[in-house]
Amino acid sequence: MQPTSNGQQLRARTFRSMGTVVSLTVVSLTVASNTYADTAVDELESAVEVVEGIFAKLDHAFSLYRRGSEASRLARGELTLADASETMRDLYAEASEWRLATEGAFTAERPDGRLDLTGIVKAHAVREAAMSLRALGLQDWCVNAGGDVLVSGSPDPATHDPWLAGILDPLDREALLGAFPLQSRKALATSGSAERGDHIWAVGGARPEFVQASVAAADIVTADVLATAIVAGGTRTLDLVAAKWGVAVLAVRPDGELLATPEFRSAA
Amino acid sequence: MRIRAALATAVASAGILLAGWQSGAHIAETGTATTTSLNSSATSGGIAAGGTNSGGGTTATGPSSAGSGSSSGSSTGSTTAATYDGASVQTRFGTVQVQVTIQSGKITEVTALQLTDAERKSAQISSRAAPVLRSEVLQAQSANVQTIGGATVTSDAYLTSLQAALDAANF
Repeated sequence: MQPTSNGQQLRARTFRSMGTVVSLTVVSLTVASNTYADTAVDELESAVEVVEGIFAKLDHAFSLYRRGSEASRLARGELTLADASETMRDLYAEASEWRLATEGAFTAERPDGRLDLTGIVKAHAVREAAMSLRALGLQDWCVNAGGDVLVSGSPDPATHDPWLAGILDPLDREALLGAFPLQSRKALATSGSAERGDHIWAVGGARPEFVQASVAAADIVTADVLATAIVAGGTRTLDLVAAKWGVAVLAVRPDGELLATPEFRSAA
Repeated sequence: MRIRAALATAVASAGILLAGWQSGAHIAETGTATTTSLNSSATSGGIAAGGTNSGGGTTATGPSSAGSGSSSGSSTGSTTAATYDGASVQTRFGTVQVQVTIQSGKITEVTALQLTDAERKSAQISSRAAPVLRSEVLQAQSANVQTIGGATVTSDAYLTSLQAALDAANF
């Protein structure tokens, strides 16, 4: 993106983790003096290193593609939850609470009964990354983990404009369905019924009522879990989610019909 | 003994009253929210502005007021506004009645004349997702967004994604 007239520039770095690509974008000042620009780049390089480390560590423990991972050993029954790491137990507890709250639409158990926390671990990694970025003193940034977005501040701190996230059309991955300004709700997560690894299972094995659901919430785990729950649970869960959590939702039916809460409609 | 029991009862009652007062205040808040979002739901057809009362018979009335009419007949076209009172509709949340203002053939305003019987339930309407047209969703081009949300992409699919293009532009 071109530097804006205010001398702000977005700088992005990416890394691969959890089977997808994570992008970290920060705002840096571009002033005539190269000193500032260099400092900003260094700041970004160290920030991305920290974030990548968080993802790598969690992926190492939670990946079901890695035979020797803690999660794989749990799934095979070689390790019991009681003997698992604190992070594993905490995330399991969190996933269980979400299962209750969403009336079973979100679950960390696969149809074969095996434990699979991969549906929540990516959002957890983003949440952890956010804490580190704040600790590093960064205020204006955007983390995009394979389509799930968490932002802080503004892409242009001079104007305080909110970060604007486009939402992909599930029927045409080069087109956007629309956009959402991440203002009071800083997190936007999207789940699809045909997504990687098919980690969403429609309740009762029925054909999903939605091919995609996007949820904007104050925090990334809530957004991610509820987007997943809506795709799995259909209209019933969509109504439950909108009423119970007050999040913004944009859902797409297989025929392309859209359902949206008021926040997703244009102001006009 | 008896005094102690009476005291306990009194304290419990006070607690219930306090809880009731608090939830009452909460209902008042959500009630306000309802009006706003009922507007948008009705505009998009989420809640019908007309229909039949469960008691039988339509109660829709004709235009109840004529608008400005100031430029009627001028080259800019008619700007006459008319308001219509919708029928009282029984929804699963209770009775809802809306008033619609139509100007130049477009609905310009929808107000709730009657909200649901159960106000707690009506709060659910306010946050419900209703069908919308694509044109009603805030539009954007990939050039004016800073990031792209979507169902998880694989590392391979990322390479040809819009997000990759944005990242490359900002590298």
